[in-house]
Amino acid sequence: MTGAAQDHRAGLPAARGDGPPPERWSGSGRALLRLLAVQGAWSYERMQGVGAGWAAAPLLRPLAQQDAERYRAAVARSAEFFNANPNLAGLAVGAEVRAEFDGLPPEQIRRLRTALCSPLGALGDQVFWAGLVPALVALAVAGVALGGGAWPVAALVAVYALVRLWTARWALRTGLASGMSVGRVVTASWLPRAVPRVGPLAAFALGLAAPLAAAWLLPVVAPGHVAGVLVVAALGVGLGQWLGTRVTAVRFGLGALGIALLLRWVTA
Amino acid sequence: MSAALATMGLAPGVLLLLLGWGTLVGLDLVSWPQLLLARPLVAGTVAGLLLGDVEAGLRVGLLLELFALDVLAVGAVRYPDYGPATVGAVVLAAFAPWETGLGLATALALPVAAVGGWTMQWVRHANARALQRATDALAAGDPRAVRRLQAGGLARDALRALGLTALALVLAIAARTWVQPDPATGRLLTLAAVGAALAAVANGALRIAGRGPRLGWLAAGLGLGLVLAAVLAGVLAGGLA
Repeated sequence: MTGAAQDHRAGLPAARGDGPPPERWSGSGRALLRLLAVQGAWSYERMQGVGAGWAAAPLLRPLAQQDAERYRAAVARSAEFFNANPNLAGLAVGAEVRAEFDGLPPEQIRRLRTALCSPLGALGDQVFWAGLVPALVALAVAGVALGGGAWPVAALVAVYALVRLWTARWALRTGLASGMSVGRVVTASWLPRAVPRVGPLAAFALGLAAPLAAAWLLPVVAPGHVAGVLVVAALGVGLGQWLGTRVTAVRFGLGALGIALLLRWVTA
Repeated sequence: MSAALATMGLAPGVLLLLLGWGTLVGLDLVSWPQLLLARPLVAGTVAGLLLGDVEAGLRVGLLLELFALDVLAVGAVRYPDYGPATVGAVVLAAFAPWETGLGLATALALPVAAVGGWTMQWVRHANARALQRATDALAAGDPRAVRRLQAGGLARDALRALGLTALALVLAIAARTWVQPDPATGRLLTLAAVGAALAAVANGALRIAGRGPRLGWLAAGLGLGLVLAAVLAGVLAGGLA
């Protein structure tokens, strides 16, 4: 950062490069809200590209007053192909906007965007989809089964909302502050360190929740019924491990219900 | 069908609230705001609150949540949309003995959730067609084109979620009117649904744990869960006795 210049209102470094830096990152609040809908126009062609462009638009707006042609080129680039974990998309959006204000060559900005897709996708999926989300949901399931009523559900939504908003804000601000060096900044941040923590937590919480849920859903049933439930569950696990994702939960569930109906019809 | 609505206490206002909630829940899955409202446990609990039967919402939501925990929503994969399906399932199971109603509610929710997954593909293809029509404007850096595409995508997903919730509600009300299994059949369906749900959550847990040290964490959680479940079963049995 040249001269460690800091924006006194947003706490962000002033942009450098050939373009005049904005006094502050105006529009960052709107960009943050728009990041919550980064997958709103998801398509197989550009994936989150349009959503990322929509989120970047308020931040790019000051460029229009400086150089209309440069602004339109930046808008076009901001809506090109992009895909990452939606919670971390702000890192790429912020870094790209910063690179545009820094006046970096278009190809370099495109390469930055492309290079961020895989790591932000993999890291975000491990932290959120395979870590924090199943962990929090499983803990809420356990809380309900232990008699917490609707409170664990309310806590689940409140905690995750805080995490989601905090992460989105952190991601956008980090991206805007880092620009082209966002990859290095992310590597040194809390994100990679979170992976080995949330994964085991998710595994532990899922293990905890399953028997509690079963006990809550089957309070007093005959031993034969419990054995039947366990046979169905074991069959589902066996098929799932053997055939992989070809046996989805929906397919196996409908199959189990169909066989139960057939059994009832035969034995009635 | 109107008699069924009346006996359930389903006023048109409540039905509209459920429709609105199901739409928000469907939108939350991918498009906006992704705050876990689409999780069956959340969707079901709020649907139960709206109906005035929180217990049914919690039971149905928790059971379907076990199915949903099998899904890792990574990348561009197609996955079931359990949220609106859960809202319909709660309507079907509300104000009835849950021991005999959970299985039927699951039988309604699973196909609707699968249909939800297919409709998501439809939205994604429709978004791609809109994108192709706007290619020139996007290449020219027209911010209005970006805004139109984003608004169109959100509107299509909201419409999809609304249609899916409406389907779930119509099926639930129809099932309440015309499908009334005897208690033994209802109980058998519930047992099958719980067994399948446990298989789903176990497969999801094994996928997340992998073959490394996380398996140990899964085993530790399972051990503690089994102990607590034994205590819980004892408490519940004592309470019912």
